[in-house]
Amino acid sequence: MSLPTRLRDGRLLVPVALLILTTIYFIEAVQMGPPIRDGNMTVSFFPLAIAFIMFLAIAGVLWRIFQTPSDTDQSAESHEDKRRLGPLWVALLTGLYIFAFSYIGYFVATAIYVFALTMLFGEGAKGLPVKLVATLIITVCGYLLFEVAFQVRLPTLWS
Amino acid sequence: MDFFFGILNGFAALADPEILLYMVGGFLIGTFFGAVPGLTSVLAIALLLPLTYSLDVTTALVACASIFMAGMCSGSITATTINIPGAPASMMTAIEGYPMQQRGEGAKALGHAALASMIGGSIGALLLMLIAPLAADAALLIRTPGKFSLIAFALVVIIISQQKSISKGLITTMLGLMIATIGIDVMQPMARFTFGTGVLVQGIDMMPLIIGTFAVSELLVQANNRHNRTVDPNQVEAPPVRRRDFIPPLSEIREIGMYRYLKSAVIGYLVGTLPGAGGSMAAFVSYAEAMRSSKHPERYGKGNPEGIAAAESSNNAMCSGAFVPMLTFGIPGDPTTAIVLGVLVINGLQPGPQFMDSQLSLVAPMFAALLISALVLVPLTLYLLGPYFLRIVSIRRDVLYSSIAVIALVGSYVATYSAFQMTLALLFGILAYFLRKQAYPTVCLLLGFVLGPSLEEYCRRALSISDGNPMIFLTSPDSLFFLALTGVFFYFMVIRKPKAAPVPG
Repeated sequence: MSLPTRLRDGRLLVPVALLILTTIYFIEAVQMGPPIRDGNMTVSFFPLAIAFIMFLAIAGVLWRIFQTPSDTDQSAESHEDKRRLGPLWVALLTGLYIFAFSYIGYFVATAIYVFALTMLFGEGAKGLPVKLVATLIITVCGYLLFEVAFQVRLPTLWS
Repeated sequence: MDFFFGILNGFAALADPEILLYMVGGFLIGTFFGAVPGLTSVLAIALLLPLTYSLDVTTALVACASIFMAGMCSGSITATTINIPGAPASMMTAIEGYPMQQRGEGAKALGHAALASMIGGSIGALLLMLIAPLAADAALLIRTPGKFSLIAFALVVIIISQQKSISKGLITTMLGLMIATIGIDVMQPMARFTFGTGVLVQGIDMMPLIIGTFAVSELLVQANNRHNRTVDPNQVEAPPVRRRDFIPPLSEIREIGMYRYLKSAVIGYLVGTLPGAGGSMAAFVSYAEAMRSSKHPERYGKGNPEGIAAAESSNNAMCSGAFVPMLTFGIPGDPTTAIVLGVLVINGLQPGPQFMDSQLSLVAPMFAALLISALVLVPLTLYLLGPYFLRIVSIRRDVLYSSIAVIALVGSYVATYSAFQMTLALLFGILAYFLRKQAYPTVCLLLGFVLGPSLEEYCRRALSISDGNPMIFLTSPDSLFFLALTGVFFYFMVIRKPKAAPVPG
């Protein structure tokens, strides 16, 4: 099975990303100094040990990936019933919500975010009145839960 | 005697209207999250975590206990009625419950599940009250090298209990340990892995990790799904059920026998004390044992109430067992107790050998809540809400997941009143999403993160005591005991792997 096929079925993504992350972590740990000084463990000992075990574990997973056939064909059927870009949209919307939360306040940011999510998790604009009412109720209930019941000071448009 | 009176005071504390409200409310929330496929009681407790900043710690612990117990037994609702376990721990229940549903005995199957949950949960809670003080006394005997070996044992067992892929379990545990090393070092005033930023000096808070791993990642997973409702409404259409249909016949209870309930509860409790085991393993072990020792093993897999009794009694007893290592050693064995540990840490409390004595007034109401939830709320909820159970599991996904998103994200803002925590929750959510997609166990990530700092601290302390000589881990009897125990578990779980799951029927 070719490398591009394995990249496409997603199994290589996690170990390769973790390999990059661990390499950065390892370099940073090495820069902290020697792992043992005067017979005692230093601040870099544990991170170096973790990185070493992590490298071994990633190597084990990569070896298994290259030993087993790709499951692209098997998963093709299930993809028909899935919204492939759904997680990307949720992640983007959530990122925008976090950015807007401090600037335009809880009410406006939450209302827009909730409405967008109801469109995404439901069937688009179908049942729009229900989605609008749900948006209003969730936003107000969230406010009552955090600001009134648990006395958390939420940001407002004018704060 | 002081301990006994402390426990009694715990029951008295439940009479406080506010605590009672949170116990009942927590139980209903746990029932809902346990029943709806895709939601779990872990997610419910994760969403509750930010609110504990404003809650009294006793109230928060009581709510966690009732959510835990409710979530464990309510998974049987959809497991029985539509053959989709609401929680992983209910998989064995589905094997017996669904055939009963198909022959028109669904309500009776739910009754058996509730009765077994009630008995198992109650026995587990009583064992917790009796054994936890003894475990705490034993914990006092463990010294620094032994503490390191105990945590190492816990981590090894958590990793090797990931039977599907131990190497993936090892990766996520190491990832948790890596995240835990960010910030000020545990022994010296030196910041690590901050990459020149000030925001990482204090380290990564447990809350965004929990919210991200269990709530945000669930949103991303569910965003793949095109369905409009959590469960297809056609699947849950059923003729009306009368309340008396939920009461199991006495003849069947006699046939199962009190010994079966008791044995399964003890198995569940003991499995609960093991790190990484959880409700699924408890239910599986008890079910397998019930089938092995049954007079009629041929009835298994065809709708046998005995199988339901074994699985449900065990997984509810597991709830109490899971609290033993967390309260006495500060070692959570599963995500729920890890989050409960988070509740304690947020309130400046650190469990350990003397915690039960010094903070009994805080934890006794939680013990009482476990018992009352099992003994009173499980049967009461089934009797009052049983006929409506099927309707609550089919709800609009757009409303459900939008609500969860708001509670999760605004909740993660609560800790520091900064958007940074929200951003971290999102980043951990994305990371957990990719891990889950490739079957990497995210539970190991959380437990590695929680146990990492203690593992490093005790290791370095032990070596500084011995002037850097690692033989201290072999010459110290308590440490040697846990290292030997690790070897025993490794032998039986990895080298001599457990036999394949029994095929019922």
